[in-house]
Amino acid sequence: MKQRLTRLLLAAAPLALAAGLAAEAFAENKPLVIGLTSDASGQYANSGASDRRGMLMAIEEFNAKGGVLGRRIETVHIDTETTPATGSRVAERMISQHKVGFLIGAVSSGVANAISQVAQKHGVIYLNTNSSSPTESGKNCHRVKFVWDGNGTNFAQSAVKSAIGTYGKDWLLLTNDYVWGHNTSATTRKLAEANGATIVEEILVPQGTRDFSSILLKTQQIGPKVIAAAVGGDDQKAMRTQVADLGMGAKYAWINNQQDWPDVYGLPKENLFGVFGTTWYYKLDLPGVDDFVKRYQALYPDTKMRVPGNVFFNGYWATRSLLEAVEKAGTTNNHAVIKRLEQLRIPAEVRLQHDDAYMNPKTHQMQQTVYLATANLESDDPDHLFKIVSRSAPDTIADRAAEETCKLESFEDTPVYQP
Amino acid sequence: MDFISGLLPHILNGLALGLLFALIALGFTLIVSVMEVINLAHGSLFALGAYVALLVISPDLSALGPLGEAYAALPLGARYAIALVIAPLAVAVVGFGLEVCLRRTYGKKKEYGLLLTFGAALVIEEAIRLTWGPAEQVLPTPEAVTGAFLAGDMIYSKYRVFAAVFGLCAIGLVWLFLDKTPYGAIIKAGAHDSEMVRALGINLSRLQLLVFGFGAALAGIAGIILAPIWGLRPHVGVDAVIPAFLIIVLGGIGSFWGAVAGGLLVGLAVGITGAYATDWSILSMYLLLILVLSVRARGLFGKKTVLET
Repeated sequence: MKQRLTRLLLAAAPLALAAGLAAEAFAENKPLVIGLTSDASGQYANSGASDRRGMLMAIEEFNAKGGVLGRRIETVHIDTETTPATGSRVAERMISQHKVGFLIGAVSSGVANAISQVAQKHGVIYLNTNSSSPTESGKNCHRVKFVWDGNGTNFAQSAVKSAIGTYGKDWLLLTNDYVWGHNTSATTRKLAEANGATIVEEILVPQGTRDFSSILLKTQQIGPKVIAAAVGGDDQKAMRTQVADLGMGAKYAWINNQQDWPDVYGLPKENLFGVFGTTWYYKLDLPGVDDFVKRYQALYPDTKMRVPGNVFFNGYWATRSLLEAVEKAGTTNNHAVIKRLEQLRIPAEVRLQHDDAYMNPKTHQMQQTVYLATANLESDDPDHLFKIVSRSAPDTIADRAAEETCKLESFEDTPVYQP
Repeated sequence: MDFISGLLPHILNGLALGLLFALIALGFTLIVSVMEVINLAHGSLFALGAYVALLVISPDLSALGPLGEAYAALPLGARYAIALVIAPLAVAVVGFGLEVCLRRTYGKKKEYGLLLTFGAALVIEEAIRLTWGPAEQVLPTPEAVTGAFLAGDMIYSKYRVFAAVFGLCAIGLVWLFLDKTPYGAIIKAGAHDSEMVRALGINLSRLQLLVFGFGAALAGIAGIILAPIWGLRPHVGVDAVIPAFLIIVLGGIGSFWGAVAGGLLVGLAVGITGAYATDWSILSMYLLLILVLSVRARGLFGKKTVLET
């Protein structure tokens, strides 16, 4: 009896070994599913589409060379509706039902914050591609979250000081009434006051505002020298149209903290008054930029947005950097990938910006070149909207306050997750 | 600047805004009162009107050769005027189609009509996105109404004045049509007692078709007028349908003057809070609704309506 059992075990061992190897091979070759949490409706629907195109181009490039770690990359997209509550729900659903390996995408900081809380609970790495509230890499930072856009502090630092000297000290703040607007205006206020400016008024602009007539009348009654606007998405489009119609773009010095490309693409250049920040422009005079634009145009020949902008750029680079980190780590284990991303450094010539970009390991925010731009009224090319007037290297505009407010969870407190 | 002289521009601006809100609500209230249908596609028809106008004003007619060139050479004002006629007609045709689809829901639960128009709203919005793309567009306006003028020491938009005057004229014309023509009398009778209208030998189906088309055309006109102010994007209709619904409830469902008064009140509320407590400006219209409904459950001019049965 004992001998028979031994023979049976000996016979079964190779089978079990083979089955184990097959299971591992299967696990290694099963597709890696990435959850795209970009808005398809609401205030940032248009930017969300651009963000998604960027992610998909990076994924397309990886799949063309065999995926990552031999696994084909698949995606699932659910509309986050520019609504934080929906963001939470979508993240939960993607993790529990779709078993995604990673979550990527955000334009609204409220949505990004909501998604990242869910992601941290499960230990799923989440890339906040395009939301730029300073709190995202400050008090709302998480071990699993990486922020790829410049934030309000970065943009304000590149613009505020020179604007006070050039335009004057009476400042009015126009603040979109949600997390990004408040945090960005708070930073602008702090910087402006520290440099001798006076904030004469702060006007809160509710999300969904389409009629700015009363706000613009009030602005005229106040009569500031400089208007620093932290208004985004469709609200900003409506505001720009109405300001341009009144000719108020030239009457006051406008500083628009950041200008997302999808928010202005297709608008008349007259609507692009003032100066504004951006992290990338398709006409940057750098090697590789033209090729990047051509790849975009080849992949998306039918899109009405004929050239990529900063939102696409961030979506692309976030996704590409994540997949490269997985490759370098040789595993999808979240702790290993997080450690890789924390050491991320991308040379300027690869990144298509003027300075090397790097991930701040204390805040998980990408440190990168920030450009200050204005309308390009000299060109007849309808796509050539911006004229870059200056640029700031990452270290000169770093958000130092975020390093103090960001308290990343320890690895011990971050659940292990290996899709 | 004392308080009153500071307030006056905001009151005037609020009234102008109110006329635009009333214009948005006109077609909505007409369809509710006659058809007993809450047309949730109103916002999408609003957007469609603006997009068709864009096509009429700035068409790509290069394939038509000299004819296309001759049209493109027309002054912008002329093309804008043509758009103000053609675009609402095109939207009316879409409205006709929607009404035909709605017929199967007549006499059934109100939710069927609601769901059908909600579905239609999504379809129309997606069709716009596929046809014109998701990006922001600009509806050109004639030079005469573009730019600003000085009113005292304030800069004000010429287009906004034009839009308010246009809204006033549209309201007046719709009222004249409803109140002073036999067709208007039939429509009002249909709203009051559709069975009696049918018993009098009037073709009720045709009346409903025409009313729905007319309401859709009014939505399209509102879209053309509002697009240069709000901007033009496929989902712009969402910005219109919510205030339209709120205004007709506030004014009293089915009441023409209720819609006008509701629009003006909402305009004043949004305009004045927009100046003194901007963060409350959108909320103010909802607070106004709560206030009015707390006192008059059927709205300002509301009577018992078909929706209550």
